[in-house]
Amino acid sequence: MTKGEKKSFNESLAEWKLFLYNPTTREFLGRTAKSWGLILLFYLVFYGFLAALFSFTMWAMLQTLNDEVPKYRDQIPSPGLMVFPKPVTALEYTFSVSDPSSYEGYIKDLKKFLKSYSLEEQKNLTNCTDGVLFEQKGPVYVACRFPDFLLQACSGRNDPDFGYSQGQPCILVKMNRIIGLKPEGSPRIDCISKDENTAIVSTYPNHGIIDLKYFPYYGKKLHVGYLQPLVAVQVSFESNSTKKEVTVECKIEGSRNLRNEDDRDKFLGRVAFKITART
Amino acid sequence: MSRKTLEIYSVELDGTKDTKQTDQEDDKKYNDLDLKKSHQKEELKRELDLDDHKLTSEELEQKYGTNIITGLSSARAAEHLARDGPNTLSPPKQTPEIIKFLKQMVGGFSILLWIGAVLCWIAYGIQYVNDKSASLDSVYLGVVLALVVILTGIFAYYQEAKSTNIMASFSKMIPQEALVIRDSEKKVIPAEQLVVGDIVEIKGGDQIPADIRLLSSQGCKVDNSSLTGESEPQPRSAEFTHENPLETKNIGFYSTTCLEGTATGVVINTGDRTVIGRIASLASGVGSEKTPIATEIEHFVHIVAGVAVSVGLLFFIIAVSLKYQVLDSIIFLIGIIVANVPEGLLATVTVTLSLTAKRMAKKNCLVKNLEAVETLGSTSIICSDKTGTLTQNRMAVAHLWFDNQIFMADTSENQLNQAFDQSSGTWASLSKIIALCNRAEFRPGQENIPIMKKVVVGDASETALLKFSEVILGDVMEIRKRNRKVAEIPFNSTNKFQLSIHETEDPEDKHFLVVMKGAPERILERCSTIMINGQEQPLGKSNATAFHTAYMELGGLGERVLGFCHLYLPEDEFPESYPFDVDAMNFPTSNLCFVGLLSMIDPPRSTVPDAVAKCRSAGIKVIMVTGDHPITAKAVAKSVGVISASSETVEDIARRCSIAVEQVNKRDARAAVVTGMELKDMAPEQLDEILANYSEIVFARTSPQQKLIIVEGCQRQDAVVAVTGDGVNDSPALKKADIGIAMGIAGSDAAKNAADMVLLDDNFASIVTGVEEGRLIFDNLKKTIAYTLTKNIAELCPFLIYIIVGLPLPIGTITLLFIDLGTDIIPSIALAYEKAESDIMNRKPRHKKKDRLVNHQLAIYSYLHIGLMQALGAFLVYFTVYAQQGFWPTSLINLRVRWEKDELNDVEDSYGQEWTRYQRKYLEWTGYTAFFVGIMVQQIADLIIRKTRRNSIFQQGLFRNKVIWVGIASQIIIALILSYGLGSVTALSFTMLR
Repeated sequence: MTKGEKKSFNESLAEWKLFLYNPTTREFLGRTAKSWGLILLFYLVFYGFLAALFSFTMWAMLQTLNDEVPKYRDQIPSPGLMVFPKPVTALEYTFSVSDPSSYEGYIKDLKKFLKSYSLEEQKNLTNCTDGVLFEQKGPVYVACRFPDFLLQACSGRNDPDFGYSQGQPCILVKMNRIIGLKPEGSPRIDCISKDENTAIVSTYPNHGIIDLKYFPYYGKKLHVGYLQPLVAVQVSFESNSTKKEVTVECKIEGSRNLRNEDDRDKFLGRVAFKITART
Repeated sequence: MSRKTLEIYSVELDGTKDTKQTDQEDDKKYNDLDLKKSHQKEELKRELDLDDHKLTSEELEQKYGTNIITGLSSARAAEHLARDGPNTLSPPKQTPEIIKFLKQMVGGFSILLWIGAVLCWIAYGIQYVNDKSASLDSVYLGVVLALVVILTGIFAYYQEAKSTNIMASFSKMIPQEALVIRDSEKKVIPAEQLVVGDIVEIKGGDQIPADIRLLSSQGCKVDNSSLTGESEPQPRSAEFTHENPLETKNIGFYSTTCLEGTATGVVINTGDRTVIGRIASLASGVGSEKTPIATEIEHFVHIVAGVAVSVGLLFFIIAVSLKYQVLDSIIFLIGIIVANVPEGLLATVTVTLSLTAKRMAKKNCLVKNLEAVETLGSTSIICSDKTGTLTQNRMAVAHLWFDNQIFMADTSENQLNQAFDQSSGTWASLSKIIALCNRAEFRPGQENIPIMKKVVVGDASETALLKFSEVILGDVMEIRKRNRKVAEIPFNSTNKFQLSIHETEDPEDKHFLVVMKGAPERILERCSTIMINGQEQPLGKSNATAFHTAYMELGGLGERVLGFCHLYLPEDEFPESYPFDVDAMNFPTSNLCFVGLLSMIDPPRSTVPDAVAKCRSAGIKVIMVTGDHPITAKAVAKSVGVISASSETVEDIARRCSIAVEQVNKRDARAAVVTGMELKDMAPEQLDEILANYSEIVFARTSPQQKLIIVEGCQRQDAVVAVTGDGVNDSPALKKADIGIAMGIAGSDAAKNAADMVLLDDNFASIVTGVEEGRLIFDNLKKTIAYTLTKNIAELCPFLIYIIVGLPLPIGTITLLFIDLGTDIIPSIALAYEKAESDIMNRKPRHKKKDRLVNHQLAIYSYLHIGLMQALGAFLVYFTVYAQQGFWPTSLINLRVRWEKDELNDVEDSYGQEWTRYQRKYLEWTGYTAFFVGIMVQQIADLIIRKTRRNSIFQQGLFRNKVIWVGIASQIIIALILSYGLGSVTALSFTMLR
């Protein structure tokens, strides 16, 4: 029995060898060199043509686009809120007051981020009128100044540690840029602590106001140097509270067309984050 | 010689119908699967262990504890019933429905999808343990996958159950009853309550309710065709005539039919212990071959599953080595498998097959096993019965000889076209004899039925003569009334003639007319004169020679020849009141006047020659297998074209060249007539040689058992063999054949049970239509599969690109399922309605091993050509959607990680806008929908491409297959509903498109 199997194995091996290269017909893998050549040529031409066709259609499609404003903006009618710096995991800030290395990263990120908001960087920007939309007709679009002192205690001017070393960390809340968005009313960012007694939440600029002069946004290409308005949130833990952990929720308020309560999108006009400060 | 072998059919077709149906009902329960291995088909031939036929009545009474006069007592009968069980054949041990159902659940691709579903849930479980807020996506996917499997399983099960139901409805249940003597009383009881020892009475038209030993009989004849395949009526009486219980006259077998007469007998065996019960159980002992389409589908499933799993695993490994998380990689794996597996295909194939089965049922081919539909198409040899399949299964007058001339009669199904010369005086006499010397009668109450369809009481040749004269002369009954019969001697085998004496129709003419018919040589012996052109002439030598030549010629055509003569009795010797005494024969039976010869044949069905020619052009060999005499067989074979006009057998060549048969070069002959006797002595190699070397073969004088040998021989030639059969003894051959075809009218139920297909009209031509349908379905299945496979590439590419290039996922797994099971299902079924391209009956049958359903050309064409184009097209749509919303194609590369991070809610697009996770997700779904619609639209184009494989689309006609357009409409509607109607259902991930 085994003998027969072995033989058949040898046979199949020989068959494979023959398939690999058949010296009589000069076939390699079942085809002659000429046949292989032709078939490769066919696929070369065929796929070459397909690639060309695809590239051409892609090119034609891209021609229909405008590189200043996207063709459709229906999928982002309302902006999301996001915090800065971005914690490593989820939206949970954990640091230890006594250990600078635990918040070093946050400070570095904040400094880097706020660099473009420093006065020197904004020299070329315009001073716009407060409280009104700053609509422009082009062709040159100018950006409004957002001086970092508006962030007061969180500007990093007086406190290079952004409050982390005192256990009063600063976190920036920003509204997503959306081209052409014109907020109505007087939007502001309201932040509340979910656990009332453990911490006081202060927002800068006062009341977390977002000035309308930063809107509308005209896109990366046209609106060079655009600075998006920021709101800083500072959490001060009550010194007597033992539990230095708080969940803060920020929402856009005061504007009818900026939505902040979408069941599915937890970041549409709102953001929640957790801060844990150890001693 | 030929006369004996010509088969006589049961004329009372309608009369036996009721019993037939009961029979079907009983036999549906055949196939005793509890069969032991030791039961071999050879046992069919085994002598029965039965000696009741040798016993006397007294011994029987003793043995069965019964009384011939009073019967069993009710109490005794009940006792026996409890001991032996009811008198029914035990039903086949059917696979429980639940097992059938579960088989559908795990067969084919289902197991892959189950694995996918379970992996999904496991993945979710792990995610959930790590993070309680894990997204439910993979649970949804798992549920959808499981649903897909369950739904397609239910669907396939339903389809199969439905086709089984066709069969079930075909054999309606009518309880059979038996007249039995119990407690000295005659009672009618259900046949299944019969027990051994019961005394039963049977009469013409009854089905014999159990194996019985006859105690007395009056002219009882039975039709044993359901047992032996030979339909010649056999007399039954109480005498013990043969050692072999199958041959002896005093045993009647269960399920055979009593044709005429009455009989009383004692029940000796019931239920499964009857002869037929034993034979029926043997049928299941012969292995049934796997159908070619099942093999093809399996082959296809293996290929696709192999590709799916290996591509999946390859990319799983790639994904892991690209530092993706294992969990993610598993999800990729599932996506790849789902993309690769054509979930809807097997359901589509089932539907396609059952559609064809329905279409075939309309054409009188009832398909029991769906897969047999295609098997018929790949048939390369048909072993056909002669009687009833190639022929009309009735006698018809084929030739007449009178006035020294042979005339041809019309043997077509309606016989209306009788073109021979009817002006001669001889014909007037002959027609009178035909009409008068005949005991057959039409059953009353059939005035409005065409003559040929009327039911006749009488044997086959008398029926033929009655109908023949009815067609030509008009109302035969009226003629007989006018020529009152005064005496009659029925046909018997010693006299070999039939005689009757009539008054003439002319009331003035007081002559009596003696008419006689019978074996030509016997008739001629009794004649001294012959009628030529209406004049009586002395029967000279030349006339006698002419008679013999004609007789030989007609006999050589395989026809049954009858001679006719008459005599007007002299008025003075036989006055009006003359007492004719048939026992004393007080009237002359010699020196009659010979009038003519008439020959009858079971004529070929008029559609058969065409059908045989069609088979031949389709490369199908038609082999005739019959129990008939070789001469008859050959004559019929020639007339239907099984042996074509130009072909000769070795014997023909020998005769033509006047040389010995041995000297003929066997290669010169294309046809062969092989008898059962020759076959018996043949080694398998010799049979193989005959089957391989002759293109036209007739097997004559074969027993049903030899059919099995022939089938096996054909299968050794690598042929797909279709076999027709009707007797119980045919069932092993029917089972063994690749496709067994049972006769719907003449077939016994065991045969129907063993067969894959039932021919409702017993017509060979229906087989050919079936072949045509079978070939068409193979072609159309190829189209369907090509259509279905094409989109697999378009479905697979997104996952591969997603893993390698890091684009946001172009299409979700659930969305894929909506293509496979939503939009694509109806169009792929619509392809089954595609008409044949060119003449499919001019091609050779497909080779079982070489012409696969899915070959590499089809795979490459689908995957690498059309599939790739489709993928590119779909990607174009996908890129367009993203670009129009702000993400240019270049920005998408390697965006995947940031794109999918839940806490990252300010991903910047190419225009500086920032997107939250949900906004991105929504865009992703829009991408899915776009990709989906992209594939869908291209599948419409694909569908139109796939309409044809050889012809141009304009040759085939764009609008000839309306169902295709229904399919396209359904595709569009489903897509619209999905993207606009269900946009709000999260789990489906569809969004509205602009």
